[in-house]
Amino acid sequence: MNASAEVRNNVPDEIVIRDLGVTFQDNKGNDVQAITGVNLNIKKGEFVSLLGPSGCGKTTLLRCVADLQEPTDGDIHIEGMTPKEVRLQHKFGFVFQAPVLFDWRTVKKNVELPLEMMYQTKQQRSERADEMLEMVGLTNFANHYPNQLSGGMQQRVNIARALGIQPDILLMDEPFSALDEFTKEKLHEDLLQIWRKTNKTILFVTHNIQEAVFLSDRVCVLSPHPGRLSAIVDKDLPRPRTLEMKETPEFSQLVLKVRNSFEGGSFS
Amino acid sequence: MKKKYLSLTTKKWFQILFWAVIVIAAWEIGATVVAMTKRTPENILPHLYQVLAAAISTKAVSGGMTATQVVFTSASATLLRALGGFAIGASLGFLLALLMKLSGVVEKLIFPYLMLIQLIPVLGLAPIILAITGDINRSRLVIAAILSFYPVAANTLAGFKSVAKEKYDLMYTYAAKKRQLYTKVLIPSAVPYLFTGLKIAAPMAITASILVDTLQGDGGLGCMLSQSLKHAMNIYVFWLIVFFSAFIGIFSTQLISLIEILVSPQKRSASWIGRIAGKEKIYGRDAEKNRTQKEPGAETL
Repeated sequence: MNASAEVRNNVPDEIVIRDLGVTFQDNKGNDVQAITGVNLNIKKGEFVSLLGPSGCGKTTLLRCVADLQEPTDGDIHIEGMTPKEVRLQHKFGFVFQAPVLFDWRTVKKNVELPLEMMYQTKQQRSERADEMLEMVGLTNFANHYPNQLSGGMQQRVNIARALGIQPDILLMDEPFSALDEFTKEKLHEDLLQIWRKTNKTILFVTHNIQEAVFLSDRVCVLSPHPGRLSAIVDKDLPRPRTLEMKETPEFSQLVLKVRNSFEGGSFS
Repeated sequence: MKKKYLSLTTKKWFQILFWAVIVIAAWEIGATVVAMTKRTPENILPHLYQVLAAAISTKAVSGGMTATQVVFTSASATLLRALGGFAIGASLGFLLALLMKLSGVVEKLIFPYLMLIQLIPVLGLAPIILAITGDINRSRLVIAAILSFYPVAANTLAGFKSVAKEKYDLMYTYAAKKRQLYTKVLIPSAVPYLFTGLKIAAPMAITASILVDTLQGDGGLGCMLSQSLKHAMNIYVFWLIVFFSAFIGIFSTQLISLIEILVSPQKRSASWIGRIAGKEKIYGRDAEKNRTQKEPGAETL
């Protein structure tokens, strides 16, 4: 038990996932278990990664939390509410793998979009958007259109938009997997900084072991066929984390520990 | 030196000039051959300067009007109806696309059969419409509307369907109302597709109106065209109408492109006309990106 884990014990659970299972029907009508028997408690302000190869159900799990997917078994409670209630109250922001920006809106207007859905006034929206763009370092690009930005900048807008509604929880679905290594590392540092500043609870889906180890407090390892939670790796890497930390033996050991915790053979 | 010439070929003005020279040269070679071998060369391929001379000639060809006056008078009769029909057809096309998007039943019930209207040749449809409406002007309007309708409906529907699943998911996580989904995502997404439809529909509406003219003898471009061809009038009226119609057809599409740039903020910044209209700053990389941006696929038959 390390220091940060002890501190966390005094913090209430924000997301409680109980015996969660999702069963799809394939086109032949057979039942396919995407995930089964997932139990997970996430503390307020915690950064948790869902790590696994494709087909392990990590995205399905995230979508259940976001009310984008109906679980077939078990339930999820977020601050004592169902995912649907939480969604209707705009308490989580969802960051997709693709930036999902709207071509005809400027960067700033893209960030304002969810605020329009919350019936905020024009002035409120404008102030909030400016604040968020400053946080992700895109103030100078507020009046640009998405097709004028690089992939990394587009993903920053995506994050700014998700943070703009001031959610308690940030749900991120492989947000950096389409970016090059340099951009990705910069965004990792920026995301950690934003997390420290805003104290959000982050649930982060990834298939990149280093990314999961570097970013999160806990790595939840999922294994496929059927998708299930096979291990939870608690980490004691100090914070704030820097890129140099990736060169330390402690980091390599954690990566190895996570890799070894996959069930059913090697992680490829 | 070689590089300099190569970069010239990518310039738009150079491409236009290049094709203009080729077309004019081919035309003139043809006209010269025709002039040497045929008895009435002006009926087959007159020299361009002869057509030009007819255009500026002050000699009356019909009812005290010069050839150019004849063309413009009949053009207004035809084109105003083409425009009216185009506007009606395009509006109905857009509304139907919206209706089909809103209701899967409407789409399955109507869309496959809508195409049938397009399959009936206008030549066959026009006399029936004329018989029903009993008026050439109303017929022009109806035919232009029928022909504009389908490309606009089909392209707009394709635009609605082009919206990626993530955008629906995103709006869902925002707890967006259905109306907000349409006004903030679906309709703006369909705008480039709508314009593709309009660009296809506009010349079709004009062609159809000209065709309807030929059914009756009371004016319009098509009417003058056939009269001139049957030697009831100076043959150069025919050539002037050919050139004028070609110009109007191209112009209508260009005009719609221009309107599209003016109403699409993301395109405005990449175009000279938008820079004048919107006073937006232009950055090197976005101009590059917009040039390579894919046009939405045209949905035609």
